Amino acid sequence: MEKRERFLLGLQYVLGRIAVLATAPLCFLFVRLMGYRIRDLKRIRNEVKRMYREHEGPWLVCPNHLTLIDSFVISYGMASLADHILHFRRVPWNLPERKNFQQNPFIALLCYLLKCLPVDRGGSREGLHRLLEKCCRVLDWGQGLMIFSEGGRSHSGRVNRENFSYGVGRFIDKCNRCRVMLVYLRGDGQETYGTMPRFGERFTITAEVFDPGRANGGGLRVQREYARRIVERLAALEDACFASRG
Amino acid sequence: MSEEQITKKIIDILRGYVKDSALLEKATPKTHILKDLRVNSARLVDIIIKCEDVFGTMIDDDEADRIATIGDAVLLIQQKAA
Repeated sequence: MEKRERFLLGLQYVLGRIAVLATAPLCFLFVRLMGYRIRDLKRIRNEVKRMYREHEGPWLVCPNHLTLIDSFVISYGMASLADHILHFRRVPWNLPERKNFQQNPFIALLCYLLKCLPVDRGGSREGLHRLLEKCCRVLDWGQGLMIFSEGGRSHSGRVNRENFSYGVGRFIDKCNRCRVMLVYLRGDGQETYGTMPRFGERFTITAEVFDPGRANGGGLRVQREYARRIVERLAALEDACFASRG
Repeated sequence: MSEEQITKKIIDILRGYVKDSALLEKATPKTHILKDLRVNSARLVDIIIKCEDVFGTMIDDDEADRIATIGDAVLLIQQKAA
């Protein structure tokens, strides 16, 4: 990774760290205004806190994906406002698709300050390579990276077991210190994918530490296997979520 | 194995992953696998793994990252076989 890129990444973190005093309350206010609620919020935050006490980082946070603000809702569900401000380094970096948020300068700035690294879907290999280097860098810092294992929102509304991306496997293969946290998020009214959850949505969140084990072989084959194991486990969490609804 | 034979085998592999087979009919070494054949990046990984099996070789991350066109894949396989 070039020195300049490293500096810019560090600068993004420092600016985000300073701005979190304003950005975090703004985000929490948005959640309140939208009327979003999360079941057992306190228990989930305590669980996540316990996970961080056992392993400060790096973490790969792997959720399912239904709307454009999933990472936002998950971040709200994982830590309190005070924890966002006091433990900013625990807030995971995100990889949103550039075209989804960079048209609006205010949202683009907010995303920059909230640790987003934009992805150009179908972009150049060099661009992708630079992004992967940045991701490896933040993991080297011991910070978290939120990565949607399916590679995009699941159009069927259910975890996509067939046509998922293998990117997450690459990080597991490369970063031995990483632990994987699976997060399953579902709103009561979410039947399929969309842009935003409905107003007043009530969410269920499940978070667990997942050990993908060691996959045999090497190279891309291993990465695919890790990604498959994660998606299979996310699908199992989804089944459990639906079963609990009765 | 000649360049032509490798190209033919790679196009045979691609048939399993390209939805619109008409796109393959006019494929050349310059055909971009993701953009022109509309294959997503995860399927490109599947294609590369299939190439490893068919050509009995191992392709690492950096090498895989360099594959954008059919010609890139052919060249890499040739280099590996040399």
